[in-house]
Amino acid sequence: MSRLDDFIRRMTAQKLLLEHAAGLIAGLDGPAFELGLGNGRTYDHMRQIMPGREIFVFDRSVSAHPSCVPDGDHMIMGDIRDTLQYCHPRTKTKIALIHVDLGTGDATADLAKADWLAPLLADHAMTGGYVVSDLPIDHPEFERLESPPGTEAAKQRLYRKRG
Amino acid sequence: MSRLESFIRRMSAQRVLLDHAADLVRGVPGPILELGLGAGRTYDHLRERLPDKEIFVFDTHLMGDPDLIPDRHHMILGDIRETLGFCLPRIGEPAALMHNDIGSGDDIHNAATRAWLAPLIPPLMAVGGVVVTSFTLDLPGFEKLPTPEGVPENRYHFYRRTMD
Repeated sequence: MSRLDDFIRRMTAQKLLLEHAAGLIAGLDGPAFELGLGNGRTYDHMRQIMPGREIFVFDRSVSAHPSCVPDGDHMIMGDIRDTLQYCHPRTKTKIALIHVDLGTGDATADLAKADWLAPLLADHAMTGGYVVSDLPIDHPEFERLESPPGTEAAKQRLYRKRG
Repeated sequence: MSRLESFIRRMSAQRVLLDHAADLVRGVPGPILELGLGAGRTYDHLRERLPDKEIFVFDTHLMGDPDLIPDRHHMILGDIRETLGFCLPRIGEPAALMHNDIGSGDDIHNAATRAWLAPLIPPLMAVGGVVVTSFTLDLPGFEKLPTPEGVPENRYHFYRRTMD
């Protein structure tokens, strides 16, 4: 299988996993976080599959397609490690779904990132809220859920904050 | 349709396209020219589908997975607008396949690229060689081929060199 084959499989699985997560939070009140805007594709998909839900997007800079950039209130620019600690005045409430799209492709760099990220996720996520993450989340407040059928190829894994 | 969905469709179409191109040029002598390495995914796909062919890749810089970067001889680094016209001594013979992956979603950008790119292509292609491109190119001595099923008609274009 070429990297192109693998990539198509992974993107398709990621899309299904996000749609699954959107279904899981249908009964939860609270915004969503998108950590890593990138080119804005998954953000665009999230806002389509969860219409009406507020989505805050975090990234160091904006390099997305102009049609996929959130408004100024919902685009939180800066080093995510810092902004996640100080964004409460803007985000206000606990978060129903956090999509982490910060993987670097280097396993060690990913471990280091996941290490500082996990406590911040625990701080923001509501009890019973969900995280879809391409970084491994190893934290006592989160349990990993099984990926639904058809999403096994995704790099992202599904977690739930324990009640 | 979200941009994620349209991206997945585009990548899937690109795979159909490259597989079709590989079938067309399997018997044509000459290397493959890949314009734009990017993340290296289509380069990887081409080397998997055409393992016997040499692939030269052109880009201004390297990014992505080190496993997907060609060796020094086959990675032609620099502004493609400049390197393409001078690559023949290195590639050795006219190419069997050129995959132009430097198009963008912006028509103006594509028009500007088309203007300098098209005249550079004919001297680099073997008779029977195929050019796959995301925007139309004016290529004298080439015939336009139909796109394979599963690929949107106006999104990608196939040209085959018919004469010297």
